Amino acid sequence: MTGGAELSGGRNGARLERADETDAVAHVLSARRNELQYYFAGFGLAGIAVRPHSSAGLKELPQRPTISDGVFLLPSHFLASEGNGRGDIHRAAAAHALAHLLFSSRHRPAGNRAPLLIAVMSLIEDARAEKLMAQRYPGLHGLWGRFHVATRANSGLGFAAIAARLARALHDPGYRDDNYWINKGRELFEAELTRLDDVAAFDRIGKILGNDLGQMRMPFDPERYQVVPDYRDDNTLLWDFSEDRPFSDDPEILAHEAVQVEPDRKDAMAVTRGSLIPVEERSGKQYPEWDYQIEALREDWTTVVDIERGDRGVGTKGAVPKLARTRRRLEGSARIPDRSTRLRRLHEGDELDLNAAVDNVIHRRSNVHPDPRIFQRHGRRRRDAAILLLLDLSASTNDFVPGSFTSVLEAEKRAAVLVAQSLDLSHDRVALHGFASDGRKEVGYVHIKDFDEPFDACQMAYLQNQTSRLSTRMGAALRHAAACLVREHADKKVILLLTDGEPSDVDVSDKLYLVEDARHAVSMAALQGVRIFCVTLDRHADGYVRRIFGARNYQIVEGEKAFVSKIGRTLVGLVAK
Amino acid sequence: MILPRIANKGGAAAPSCEGRRSRDAMDEFIRQYLVEDEPYYRPAGKEVALFEAAMARGLPMILKGPTGCGKTRFIEYMAWRMKRPLITLACNEDMTASDLVGRYLLDAEGTVWHDGPLTVAARVGAICYLDEIVEARQDTSVIIHPLTDDRRILPLDKRGEVVRAHPDFRLVVSYNPGYQSAIKDLKQSTKQRFGAIDFNYPAADIEIDIVSHESGVTRDVASKLVGIAQKSRTLCGRGLEEGISTRMAIHAGGLIAEGIAAHAACRLAMTAPITDEEDMQRALDGFVEAYFGLEAS
Repeated sequence: MTGGAELSGGRNGARLERADETDAVAHVLSARRNELQYYFAGFGLAGIAVRPHSSAGLKELPQRPTISDGVFLLPSHFLASEGNGRGDIHRAAAAHALAHLLFSSRHRPAGNRAPLLIAVMSLIEDARAEKLMAQRYPGLHGLWGRFHVATRANSGLGFAAIAARLARALHDPGYRDDNYWINKGRELFEAELTRLDDVAAFDRIGKILGNDLGQMRMPFDPERYQVVPDYRDDNTLLWDFSEDRPFSDDPEILAHEAVQVEPDRKDAMAVTRGSLIPVEERSGKQYPEWDYQIEALREDWTTVVDIERGDRGVGTKGAVPKLARTRRRLEGSARIPDRSTRLRRLHEGDELDLNAAVDNVIHRRSNVHPDPRIFQRHGRRRRDAAILLLLDLSASTNDFVPGSFTSVLEAEKRAAVLVAQSLDLSHDRVALHGFASDGRKEVGYVHIKDFDEPFDACQMAYLQNQTSRLSTRMGAALRHAAACLVREHADKKVILLLTDGEPSDVDVSDKLYLVEDARHAVSMAALQGVRIFCVTLDRHADGYVRRIFGARNYQIVEGEKAFVSKIGRTLVGLVAK
Repeated sequence: MILPRIANKGGAAAPSCEGRRSRDAMDEFIRQYLVEDEPYYRPAGKEVALFEAAMARGLPMILKGPTGCGKTRFIEYMAWRMKRPLITLACNEDMTASDLVGRYLLDAEGTVWHDGPLTVAARVGAICYLDEIVEARQDTSVIIHPLTDDRRILPLDKRGEVVRAHPDFRLVVSYNPGYQSAIKDLKQSTKQRFGAIDFNYPAADIEIDIVSHESGVTRDVASKLVGIAQKSRTLCGRGLEEGISTRMAIHAGGLIAEGIAAHAACRLAMTAPITDEEDMQRALDGFVEAYFGLEAS
């Protein structure tokens, strides 16, 4: 779809293309999202989330990007614009948004200003913010310049056309236009260039130009007008229409309201609540639970439901991401030297291998070719440990790790891949399990990879397909994990729990109850020779992790990178001890 | 690493105790470690005075900071200032204690002891600079312990000798705390023997001076390069392990000064090496574009 087709309003054609387009748009946006978030973060605005425009699809007019204080919404038609080869419209839009976020005053009351006046003032503000931005980042001028293509010949009549030409005139000093109003606008604007920070002066320009248009009786339909050029946002960030709404169903206002609504986590939880798996795949096992108030175990109180890996759904959720790079990090763990192992008769080493050295000298004295391998060094330790990595899959793992764009679950998955891939190659045995509970009768327990399985594409895909849901009944899951580990033959048996918060469940209101139960589960596991260690991303975890796991058996980590590396370090420590 | 042999065979005493001729040979040998010309170093704070005070007290020092921020240049500059020989050793994870203190080798007549770089520095009174000490295994780095407390000795157990450190001997290590490596960290017992100076990328003005001086580009171009580097540093921990260093900006500047187009130079020397991720690469290209404009195609 070209820009020309949009303007001429080829409705049928546009609708036919829309279904294909939606898929393609989702694809393009997901590919560009990270990049744009990095871009914003580079300019110091790490909190901006990039999302597709929610109301895409039914509108006939091409949308514009929308900025709010925390969200940058990109419209769907950018895909088509990018096809025009004019340049990188996503980046141009992001740079323009940055100009507003850094230099424009936000949410000014619109009052009873006419829509036409607001449109003109916004246009002047667009130009002012871009000028300020380009002073600091001179390369952006050229980036935006690609999209200023309006001329008298190609843009037609009406306000949108004349606005596009004014925008170009303000942007490009080399552009010539014979329209009196445009040249007046340019002269007024350039007279103020030396004091770009003076917002009031530019407001005056907007008012003068707006009044001129009013006197010219320029027709203006706010519902049909879109900011020009394409990369510029709809300027809802600049205005606050809440006090006095001159046109209540205006799309700009609707968009403004739409971006204020952040997705509500409680709703999301409510949607995902419910049975996750078909009944036939379940097998339940009962475990006791510790009630600290009566100081007794409630026998067979919880039911842990093993969810076997049905291989039918595997691989449907896209390709397995390449995480090979994370693997290097743990390779150092194989490098723990062990003085009890000596590698003898080496070409190079730390010490002389005395026997070999004596042989060497004897050979030389007896005129026999000597063996040059006369050194020895220490070998690496051979360990034998069984490690069960237990992932918290509860709904809260959907949140971002503070300071990054990665969800907790994503960080857990990365760590799991790292551990599974690196330790599986060594002498250690690794299992990956996960849990999410829905009341005491249904503690879901997922076997992503068991001890005797390799970690290959099938397990990897299953791991990547895990989603956040339900709650965290830690004690029951730990008891079940310990039971799995006790069956293993290994010198060391370790459960490493990755979580982001304290235990909780829908049927328990007393927070201390589940904490105490988890503590009981940990000490019971210790009696069976299973050591439990916890790495948590909850920075407020001090209150309960120490109580549950004991003084030296937990790590509170901030940040995703630190999380993964801390897990590696912890494992090395646990296995080496 | 095996250094050139010092006249120090069998059970002979340390060279500093030997006769005049041998001492001349030693002087000749150690002269190669002197920093002859003043290295360019632009102080960013009080680090020169602090370091000198620490050196005067014989306190071993850790230079902490991200890669390419000037740690190695600083120690070269200080060695030049203090007129002491500087023996640098880049640590790696295969490095053993023998690589530091020395080892027996075989020759036609039997075994010969070869001093390692640390032993040489302790004998002649040089600054021993262990670059990226965390790369060395922990059991290797503990051998510096007796040298770094008030004993100032280096026991060579294999040789049955105790080397008493020359009064001018100083130990300096560098260390990059940003490395997110699974097991790489200094032991507390090692850390607590040292004083430390935190290095970071210098303030924009100073960094522009440095880039412009070292690469030969104008201050205008240098300020753009530094701007790009600073943008990338805000992404540290958000997809980048470390941002673009001053060293990288200097390399890019050098290429630009030689006539390479700015975009190509930035990609080659700054944005392409630090990430393999396509999204990140494009975002970094965006920063380059924000300063240098669209790339001429």
